[in-house]
Amino acid sequence: MSDADLNAAANVGTAPVEKAPPSATATRIKTWLEYAGYAGFILVILVLPFFFDEFTLNRFAKYLVYGMLGVAIALSWGYAGILNLGQGLFFGAGAYMIAMSLKLESRTSLAQGSDTPVPDFMLWNAEPGAPTELCCINPASFLWLPFQATWFGVLMGIVLPVVIAGIVGLTIFKKRVSGVYISIITLALVLLVRLVVIDAQPVTNGFNGLTDLAYLTVFGFEFDPYLKETYYLVAILLSLVLVGARLLVSTRAGLILQAIRDDQNRVRYLGFDVPVYQTVFFAISAAIAGLAGMLYVIVAEFASPTFMDLAFSITMVVWAAVGGRASLLGACIGAILINTIEASVSETQSLVQAWQVFIGLLFVGVVLFLPRGLAGLSSDIVDFVLRLFNRRRPAEPRPAGEAMRPPVAAE
Amino acid sequence: MIDTIFIGLSLASILLLVALGLSITYGALGVINMAHGEMVMIGAYVTVLAHIYLGVNLFFAIPLAFVVAAALGWLIERLVVRRLYGRLLDTLLATWGVAILIQQAVRLDLGLTFFGVNLAGLGPGLQNVQVPAVLQGSVSLLGVNLNVYRLFIILVTLIATVATWYLMYRTSIGTQVRAIMRNPKMAAACGINVKRVNALTFAYGSGLAGIAGVMMSGFKTVFPEMGTPYVVDGFLVVVAGGVGSLVGLIASSGLLGQINGVFAALTNDILARAVMFGTVILIIILRPQGLFSFRGR
Repeated sequence: MSDADLNAAANVGTAPVEKAPPSATATRIKTWLEYAGYAGFILVILVLPFFFDEFTLNRFAKYLVYGMLGVAIALSWGYAGILNLGQGLFFGAGAYMIAMSLKLESRTSLAQGSDTPVPDFMLWNAEPGAPTELCCINPASFLWLPFQATWFGVLMGIVLPVVIAGIVGLTIFKKRVSGVYISIITLALVLLVRLVVIDAQPVTNGFNGLTDLAYLTVFGFEFDPYLKETYYLVAILLSLVLVGARLLVSTRAGLILQAIRDDQNRVRYLGFDVPVYQTVFFAISAAIAGLAGMLYVIVAEFASPTFMDLAFSITMVVWAAVGGRASLLGACIGAILINTIEASVSETQSLVQAWQVFIGLLFVGVVLFLPRGLAGLSSDIVDFVLRLFNRRRPAEPRPAGEAMRPPVAAE
Repeated sequence: MIDTIFIGLSLASILLLVALGLSITYGALGVINMAHGEMVMIGAYVTVLAHIYLGVNLFFAIPLAFVVAAALGWLIERLVVRRLYGRLLDTLLATWGVAILIQQAVRLDLGLTFFGVNLAGLGPGLQNVQVPAVLQGSVSLLGVNLNVYRLFIILVTLIATVATWYLMYRTSIGTQVRAIMRNPKMAAACGINVKRVNALTFAYGSGLAGIAGVMMSGFKTVFPEMGTPYVVDGFLVVVAGGVGSLVGLIASSGLLGQINGVFAALTNDILARAVMFGTVILIIILRPQGLFSFRGR
């Protein structure tokens, strides 16, 4: 198989079989149904607090964070054709940035016998006689200094993923690296960073990650993870991200991006600066993942190098694949659905193992039989119902322009 | 100095042994087989089980592991991979699912744990393999102590590489594989049974991973998740070396093995791996076609 074939095949799943173009009414109905889907989803996640207690809501908040990761994946994979196997890098970067700030705010950091906060693990490993100050307790601890301001950690949680994505994106897209090679670079990158984080034990607490964090405090309000307000924080941000991403892909830039996904060279010949578009959307996807990482830390109260495990990054991609890689809402729901089921079966030990078997089968099954995921399935069902409905009625008169189109689009 | 080079050579031979099979499945079939690491794991478990149930040592486990892993690979090709040719990234996701299934099969004693049966040598725990006395200890060469088992790995890798080269470049089936590599449709038009050759190729690649697993079991702990790091390393070696190029594969595993060895000596194992990943990223960015490019049509 030649490289060109590999790259073409790598770009995005299967090309949908071109059928007769749907009537204008059908298209309109489907658009409305899509909007209704978004509205319904947002409504559901916003009314959940009326039905569940704080403990359950905390768990749901985690799944919503995973849903946000699904949106990030769908944006870069479905719309930009970039399969990022290192999304965990951006998630982890967001998580660590805010966790550093929250660590410094925690009570234990303030009680280490120093006027300024010092993370407890730094003292455990400090050289005898080292000053117990953040500036110089170990050679790299000064990196923590700006994180004494919470806003800095929160800001960096978005800025760092965007900067990394910008640098990586510009480098690889300018070099016209494409398809599977992007996936391999991002995969190698996340594993590299994971190793560096683990190795930089004095600054990052290595394998153990950052635990024992303070609650995020905004204008005097403490976001205790077991509060309804914290759930709302996650749910509202997810709604904003979802709607924002959906609006973004229908802008002019979003359409050009999809054109790049389908045929890079043609868009290049038309005079668009392809690497810039790709990098911008890659960075937006990274920002969403970074935000998800921060929210995860607020909800789960830890940051750890496991966020940058290979398995986690691939699992995210599979959530998106199950929900529908080319649908922002689908990918989001896919992630939430899988995690909700997983959590409910993980009550019993033997079911946990059986669930893993099911997940394995799901991976294989979705790729083989449902390449467009749940979103594709529901779209097909709507098509089917509409066709049934149309058959009962006499065919509606088509607009003139519609009738001129050939029944089968030429490839 | 010679110590470090020898360690690097030994690391390189492990990389090469794992990557050899991957390079064949990726290069010839266009399949990213994430279950390759699980084939390594299966090979290691075959060694464990062969010792417990058949009472044979590591030498006899080598052909056995090859056959078992190859049979499993053949099955995977028939059931899953066959439907995904031409959808590169989908093969990655589907075989990742297969990898989870294989891991669970080992962890759950092939599903027997649900019935309260536990087989010795399987299950979620750690297993150890007794290395035959011949392969223990070290020999002195030019005043340097060389670990015999590491020498043995280098030897096995050498044999596997030569055998693969012979198979690919000196036999009829190899010619057919290379024809499919260049252009599957044209190969089919020339009368090559593409489906059969693909299945055999995949089985051979998996079988090589099984042999790699036997080698790993000699100096690493055997457990169900042991395979995952190998597939990543192996895949990076394949891409850095240039898809479908045996020379490139040898060169890149040599290079990455030495880098790993040298940096492990200078700093520690974790940073050495990080440097290795960094090198691969650089190679892909600078030469996306790999060190030795195989010119497709």
